[in-house]
Order: sequence, then structure tokens, then C-alpha cells
Amino acid sequence: MLEIQNLTKRYGKYLAVDHVNFVVPDGQVGILLGPNGAGKSTIIKSIAGLLRYEGGVGIARMNSRSMDAKRIFAYVPELPAMFEALTVREHIEYIRRAYHSKITDEEVEALFKRFELEDKQEKLGNELSKGMMQKVSICCALAIKPRVILLDEPMVGLDPAAIKELKQVVKELKEAGVTVLISTHMLEMVKELWDVMFVMEKGKIIGEYSREDAKDQDIEELFFQVTGEHEADETGGEE
Amino acid sequence: MSSFLYLYRRILVNRIKKALKKPVTYIFAIFIIFYIVMIAGSFGTMIEEFHVDNAESMGVILSILIFFLLPSNFISYSRRKGLLFRKSDIHFMFPAPVNPKMIIVFKGILNLLLNFLLAVFIGAMGIIYFQAGVGRMILYVVLYLVFENVLEASTMILCYGNEKLPEGFFKGLTMVCYALMGVFVMVAFLMLMNRGFSFENVSEYLSLPVIQAVPIIGWNIAMIRLIFVGPTTLNLICTVLFILSTLLLFLLAFRSKCSGEYFEDAAKFADDYAELRANKQKGIVKMRMGGKQKFKKAAVEYKGGGAKAIFYRQLLEYKKSRFFIFGFNTLISLIVGVGIAVAAVMTDMAAELNENRIFIIPGIMAYIVFIFSGYATKWSQELENPYTFLIPDSSFKKMWYATKMEHIRAVIDGILMTVPGAVVLGLTPLQIVLIILLYICLMANKLYYFMVADLLVGKVLGTVGRSMVKLFFQGIAIGIAVLAAVLGGIFLGVEAGFAIMCAATLFLTFLGALIAASAFEKMEVMD
Repeated sequence: MLEIQNLTKRYGKYLAVDHVNFVVPDGQVGILLGPNGAGKSTIIKSIAGLLRYEGGVGIARMNSRSMDAKRIFAYVPELPAMFEALTVREHIEYIRRAYHSKITDEEVEALFKRFELEDKQEKLGNELSKGMMQKVSICCALAIKPRVILLDEPMVGLDPAAIKELKQVVKELKEAGVTVLISTHMLEMVKELWDVMFVMEKGKIIGEYSREDAKDQDIEELFFQVTGEHEADETGGEE
Repeated sequence: MSSFLYLYRRILVNRIKKALKKPVTYIFAIFIIFYIVMIAGSFGTMIEEFHVDNAESMGVILSILIFFLLPSNFISYSRRKGLLFRKSDIHFMFPAPVNPKMIIVFKGILNLLLNFLLAVFIGAMGIIYFQAGVGRMILYVVLYLVFENVLEASTMILCYGNEKLPEGFFKGLTMVCYALMGVFVMVAFLMLMNRGFSFENVSEYLSLPVIQAVPIIGWNIAMIRLIFVGPTTLNLICTVLFILSTLLLFLLAFRSKCSGEYFEDAAKFADDYAELRANKQKGIVKMRMGGKQKFKKAAVEYKGGGAKAIFYRQLLEYKKSRFFIFGFNTLISLIVGVGIAVAAVMTDMAAELNENRIFIIPGIMAYIVFIFSGYATKWSQELENPYTFLIPDSSFKKMWYATKMEHIRAVIDGILMTVPGAVVLGLTPLQIVLIILLYICLMANKLYYFMVADLLVGKVLGTVGRSMVKLFFQGIAIGIAVLAAVLGGIFLGVEAGFAIMCAATLFLTFLGALIAASAFEKMEVMD
């Protein structure tokens, strides 16, 4: 379970996130949506412990800054950054040691195979393309064997095969009871994945839906209904 | 912790493996070995000549080192700038289940490793050159390694990882450190001005109770004096205080709360540092790190199309910049120009050198152009812009308009560097114009030869190798131009010699420019 309690973040006088509360229950996929500048990245970075903030973040009912919480939490940032002098394989080995992960060599091989990284294992971090880095970043997150995983725009830079594989991975994580939070602009990509949806605007949650609430309503329609963007576009078009 | 050890070990091994595959590593290794041998050879003679081959002098040198190192460490850690966090650290280290204090210590390991190397170096120097004795040097090295590293690691954690003390406290601490350094240097300067610069006077200054009584920095100096000069009541008390304060800081660091609030500042630093590194690779020097550049509103009239548009776009960007086309180089040029003028007045250079005074400014200019690696500005960024290559015009024109502003800057810098000194030296207007022209030619030469070097070896030898090849070509061109100038000077007079030198440099530069223009042909060349 991932709990965000009264999260507030200020950059100087600018209020980037304003008393945000939401929960992604165990084994569910939450998606965080919102236009550019809504505060999604700030929330994501706060959950990952990269920012100072007021309020609380709970990971499996533990304080997100505690070591026990960190041990079961994985994060895939929007822009992956590799250790330049570490090979792909060595990135995984580092993660295995840092998190005391029980992932086996066979499982690592399987991960590489899924994301077509088998022949890239000995490539150094600074020899990888953006898409490759994203794949390594995802593999590193999965190597933790997390109970809560945070994916920030995970599909950006991935090829169609990798996107398909990632979607499948998310489904499998969900089935295994892992809590997933995805922040994305690519609504089409998360259409079949989500269980709960949070729509942000100007630092606040302006809409929260579960798949049951939405019934058969399309995710895009729902999003534009809440943000009013589609309506504004249409009005603008008529003018 | 094993994960960080693994990380560092693999990074080190992979870097060494990669370096061994590059031919440039071996060239540098030869240079470094040659340099060390040279230094080692001349050091002993130098120490004997200055009569400092004794333990007390060693103590004085180490005290001066501490004098500058400790406050600058405090300052950089207080400002949360002393540790180089990278984007990869933010991605993989910060979210990891590792104590944030440990991350600080591991990031600072390079500093601690440097301390270790410095200690070994100091130990060897003390035994070989300063005749300080093996026992004394071992004692110092051990104490240095233990207390300096404990002190530095504790300072890192307390300053960088602090979550209790307000920001204002560290700003205050920084100011105090600056003020202390300022006062120390001023008192030393006044004392040495009055009594003359000698090791005895420096030693006397460091033995002042007021210096040794300064918390931590002075106490550390007292410990050095205890080891190298001998015990006094003052240095004994201050040494005990140094040891106690280091232990206290260690205890405080150990017990302090650190849940990782510094991650935010470190992430910001990592972004700024990544930008700085990217700029450095392009040869762009930014005055300060971080912060977004602010632009003014401006407009420009495009007088012509094709490649000319590159020049006008650059002009628009410069007009929007705070200091227009003026930058760090303009300031340096002004300082050099004024410096030459002041030196000329103080030493009565004009009378002393008589007719040869005309060579002073060009000599200094040539040194600056030749030695300083220079600054890449907007022209180098043009090569990263695909539109530069798509513009339907010749590559030579594109190169010319991309670099035209650099020649204008060279005119301004040349004037600033020449006029003040030339007036004091009493040079004729023709001589002044010729010197400025020479500077413009030298700068153009440097610019285009840089591009030629990049085209030829940029990919193989990297930034430093490229600079060396550029220096080589530039050296040949300047050599030819100087030879032509000497011959012209002998047969036709000084001014004619200068004019011939300008013409020769210009011709050789033009040849370089013709080759360099191919950089604007295809983006792949410079990729």
C-alpha cells in the first residue's frame, strides 16, 4: 500500500503541491495524471524521498524514509541516469547488494531477455541509448523485487516491444500483490492497467476515480471531463 | 555498505580498463612521469637553496597548508557544495536502503583518499627532503590520517547532512570562515611587509598565541608545531583541544539526525554539475554554477539571408544577454591591459627598453593566446544545431558567419589589452593598430586551428589531446610568422616586420579556415 498524507511542497514561496492525500491499495495500479506543471513530478520525487516536504508518505504502512520501507520500494525516474563506468550487468549486481535482493541469476537473465538486453550486458552506462537506459532502469527496479513500485513516465523512449513487455510486467506485478503508481501523459498506454486514477491540477488532486466508479467510461474522456481541457479546446476550435 | 564498495571497485576497474585501451593514456602517463621526475630532481636543490631543509620548515609549510585547506573545507561543506553528486547517484544511491550519512561518507571518499595520498606524499617529502626524521614523520602521518579524516568526515556529515540547524547558521559559519581567512592573511601580509618575507618570520607568525588559539584551525596548527618544532605550554594545550574537538565533532556527527533531507540540495547540485560538465566538454566557461540565465528583451534586423542569418541570430542572443558580447575574457583583457600599464609606470619600462618596448605587449599577448585554452562560445554551439547544416549556403560562409562575432570580440579584447600599456609606453598610433591587428590574427588562428585539431583528432585523443594538437599547429604557424617578422624587421623596419607577421598569420589562418570549413559540411564530423 502507498499512502500520501497531507503532502505539501513549497519551492520558496511557490506552492507546488498543496495538501495532497491519496492511497493506492495493495496489489492495485494507481495512475497519476495531470497537465504539465500540475505537480506530478514533485509528488513522485517526494515519494521517492528526493525532496523535503511537509506531510507523510507511507510505504506498506511504514515511513517512506525508514530503511525497511526503502528495502521494498522501487523507483523508475522519468530520466534515467546510469553510472557511466558500470556495465548493465554491474548495475543489477549493485542493486542486488544495496537492497539485499534475493533475485537469482536465472531471474536476471529472464529480465534481460524480456527487455532485449541480453547482448547489452557488458555495455557501459555511457554507451547506452536513452531507450536502453530506460530498460536498464526498469530492470534495476524489478531486480529489487519490490512491494511498492513507482514509475515516472516509464514508456517514454521505449520501443513498441518494450512498451508491450512493460505493460505485461505491470499486470504480473499487480497479480503478485505489488502496489504500482504510474505517472504518465500517455493515457492510451495505461488504459487497460489502472485500478485507481488521480487527476492533478495546480498542485491539488481535482479528481479521484476507481475503475468501478468509471464503469465503461474511457480514460481520456474522464481525464478531460475533470480538467476541462477538451471542452476548452473545442470551444477554442469553434471560435 | 558492501554495495557501495562494489560500486566503487567496479567503477575504478572499468575506468582503468577503458583508459588502458586509449593511446592518449600512455602519452599522458609519459608526461606525468617526466613531470614528477623533473619536480623530484629540482625540489631537493630548491629546498637547500632556500635553507628550509629542516623539520621546523616542514612544520611551517604544513601549517600554511592547513591554514587554507581547513577553512575552505568548512566553507564548501557548509554551502553543501563540497561533494560531487552525480545524476546516477540520485537515481541509484538515494532511494537505496542505506543510511544517508553513509552516502555522504562514501561520496566524500575521494576527498579522504586524497588525504591519504597527501599524507603519504608529505611523509616521503619530510623524510627525503626536509630531514624531519622517520619517527617524527610516521607520527605526523598517522595523526594526520586519523584526525584529519575523522574531522573531515564529521564535518561533511554535520554540515551536509544537518537537519536541525537553520540555513542561517551555515551562512554565518561560512562568513566567519571567510572573515577568519581574511584576517589571517591580512595580519600575515602586514607582518611580512614590515619584517620582510622569510621562513623565520612566517614561523614566528604561526607561533603567535592568537593564531594557535583559533578553534580547530589554530589548534591543528598547534599540533603540527608540537610535532615539528617542539612542545610549548600553548601548543600542548591547543593540541589536546584539537584532539578533543575532533572527537566531539565525531560524536556529534555519529549521533546527529540525518534522514536524507540533503537529497534535494544534492539533486539540484547534480543537475547543475551535469550542466557544468556538458558545458566544459564544449569548452564553455560559465561564471557561476546553477540558476537559469535571464534574458532581456531585444530585437535585431536581419540584413541578408543564408548563412548571414547565423550571425544575426547570434547578435540577437548577445543583445538579450546581460553583458552583451562582453564576458570573462573581456575582463581578463582589461586586467592585462591595465596590468601592463601599471607595470610600465612602476618600472619605467619605456626608458629601460627603449626601441624594444614595442615587443612587450605582443609578447604578453602571444603568451596569453598560446597558453590559455580559450573559450568556445556560440560558434561551437552552432555545430550542435542541425539547422546550421540545413541552411542552403556554402560551408565556408556558414563557418565565417558562425565565427564572425568572435573576431569582433577579438577586436575589443585586443584594444583593451593594448591601448593602456601602449599609451604609457609611448607607442605610435600605427604601432598600436598593428599590435591590435596581430592579436586579432592570433585569435583567429587559434579559433580555426582548434577546429582543424578537432576534425583531425577530436574523436581519438579527446579534449586534452585536441588542445595539444592545436598548440602544435599554432606553434608552427606562430613560428613561421615570427620568422617572417624577424626577417622583415631586419630589412624593412619594426613596423614592416609587424605587418608581415600579421599577413603571414592571416595567410596561415586562412589555410586553416579552409580545412576547418568542412566541420560545417556534415554534422557527423563533429559528432
